[in-house]
Amino acid sequence: MSEYKAVTVNKGRGGWGGPLVIKPTADKPLIYSVTGGGIHPVAQRIADLTGGEAFDGFKGSAPFDKLAVAVIDCGGTARIGVYPMKNVLTVDIHGTTPAGPLASFINEKNFVSGVGPDDIVEGEQ
Amino acid sequence: MSTPENEQIRYATVVTQVGSLVPDFVEKGIVIFFADNAPAELHDISVLHRPDIEVGGLTVGDVVILDDRTFPILAVGHVANDNLVKLGHIDLKFNGETTPPLGGDVCLPKETPPMLAPGSIFRIIAAPPNAQNNT
Repeated sequence: MSEYKAVTVNKGRGGWGGPLVIKPTADKPLIYSVTGGGIHPVAQRIADLTGGEAFDGFKGSAPFDKLAVAVIDCGGTARIGVYPMKNVLTVDIHGTTPAGPLASFINEKNFVSGVGPDDIVEGEQ
Repeated sequence: MSTPENEQIRYATVVTQVGSLVPDFVEKGIVIFFADNAPAELHDISVLHRPDIEVGGLTVGDVVILDDRTFPILAVGHVANDNLVKLGHIDLKFNGETTPPLGGDVCLPKETPPMLAPGSIFRIIAAPPNAQNNT
């Protein structure tokens, strides 16, 4: 059985929301990267530190109840709201603030933005 | 529609599917595209498509073609081109803005967007350099 560890994801420069504590479980093991160009370094770092499994959303489909977190490179309209709406913790690498048609679903407890690899620290703060 | 040989195509694609929530967004002047390999949870809100040309290089003055209508690009958000080339993703905002409110926005004149259907054409053409010298 694998042991999962927690990380804390802080907002980065120009970012908003969080901090979020991400801790995968056996039921929710996936670090879901919905980003251009494969698994984003932010998703990879969360996976490396937590023991979760990095998963490329453009290469296959994952059931929502398996997701520990969604990492997105959203410009502020669509993905920014889709994952919070479905109760998935959401990390945007761009420094976005709640906007778009689904903005009402986004809050500081389910969303953090402007995140780079250095904004992810081990443990639960 | 004439297609001059020197016309530079930045992006060309054909719509494969229109999500169930797309009409709601169209009412608000928003059309969201994703390539059809996008994950399932994005399908409801998106116009899905399969691109033929993905050169990119979007800039103000380029022309968006949606079936038989054309719209000049008024503003391009700083992540819009990357999203388009890498993910087939673009947020067309028919809001008349000349500075993009959001990083992913491509702003077009404030009009009601056309309703697209499978088989619809979406293209972006570079602004012709000699546009003002046409005789």
